[in-house]
Amino acid sequence: MAKTRTWRWGKNRWIILVFVILTVIGINFFAPIQSVIQVAPEHLSATPLFTLPVIGSVYLTNTLTALGVTLLVILLIAWIVKRNIKSDTLIATGFTGLMEMLVELLYNLTESTAGKWAKKIFPWFATIFIVVLFANLLKLIPIFETFGLAEEVTNGGYTAIALGGNWVNVTAPAVDEGGFVVIPFLRGLSTDLNFTAALALISVLMTQVIGVQAQGLGYFSKFFNTRTLFKKPFFGFMDLIVSLLETISEFAKIISFTFRLFGNMFAGMVLLILIGVMVPVFVPSLIMMFEFFIGLIQAFVFGMLTLVFMAMATSGHAEEEHAAS
Amino acid sequence: MTGDLVQAAKFIGAGLSMIGALGAGIGIGLSVQGALEGMSRNPDTYGNLLTNMILGIAFSEAIAIYCLVIAFLMLFVL
Repeated sequence: MAKTRTWRWGKNRWIILVFVILTVIGINFFAPIQSVIQVAPEHLSATPLFTLPVIGSVYLTNTLTALGVTLLVILLIAWIVKRNIKSDTLIATGFTGLMEMLVELLYNLTESTAGKWAKKIFPWFATIFIVVLFANLLKLIPIFETFGLAEEVTNGGYTAIALGGNWVNVTAPAVDEGGFVVIPFLRGLSTDLNFTAALALISVLMTQVIGVQAQGLGYFSKFFNTRTLFKKPFFGFMDLIVSLLETISEFAKIISFTFRLFGNMFAGMVLLILIGVMVPVFVPSLIMMFEFFIGLIQAFVFGMLTLVFMAMATSGHAEEEHAAS
Repeated sequence: MTGDLVQAAKFIGAGLSMIGALGAGIGIGLSVQGALEGMSRNPDTYGNLLTNMILGIAFSEAIAIYCLVIAFLMLFVL
């Protein structure tokens, strides 16, 4: 008979209780405030870093610093994995084994969807997945969106208590004038519309490039289908209308990629800020658990849709499955 | 009427635009219904069905998120 273990209360409940008590104590000293919520990322430098001719001035925003942190984390993981793999290891263990499991999972998924174009499509899918995954998950660690610059505003802010040196603690009683707000140093990278729009443009553009690589210039007949226009007049005309709708749907793909990722992450950030002000004791942990799950899923959906659109672009009209927006 | 009319209109607009999330709720319920029915008929395909169900839920949720983006646009940008 197999040995079963009777379930008993563990010691995790005491750890959670200690954290809840620490939270209650901490709130008395550092009462949570509602930080600035705006769609555009906040500027950390007063003057622009440089000015581009068409696009305009480029400031140092707090999502740009978050991009630096995200890329550093990814490069650190890549360096650790490279250092652990020597030329004669057959089985990777530990952290390297985890990364190998991840890559194998993604590659099997690519092969089952794309067939023989998997080697070309896999770098795009895996890179988009890993960058968006780390951008979504790093948003949840405690350093993000808490430390920042205290800026004086003219109407409606919070009181600032000096902590010594140059550090200020901006806490609870809201004042009418002469108050301070906090502009965080780091804000989640995927809450920036620039990041998601750039990824969406890259994804859709590379889909077209891979389509041309697979089918030659006949790929563009998907968007302007005059192939059957003269052979079968009525159906050829319907094909032409359908191909114009396909063109519109390509632009809809860009917009839907952008706003799906941005909306999910921005809504999560706003929810955490508001719940953190209203019920700061235990509830933000539950919302962070939910945000972890949502971040994982949104990264997977972004990558998976890129994969499916690229696979559809390589196969042409042979199989047509209508992936929704 | 006292107070800021534009601010009131922003709040009303944000509230109205979230009615569109109703469709997403119904859509997610339908896709989970299909997935559960498939899992109960054929328990071997559990993993495959789960992955596709999560994918389908993310698509439906995206429509609700578009409504949320319009609400945020009204509250925080314009």
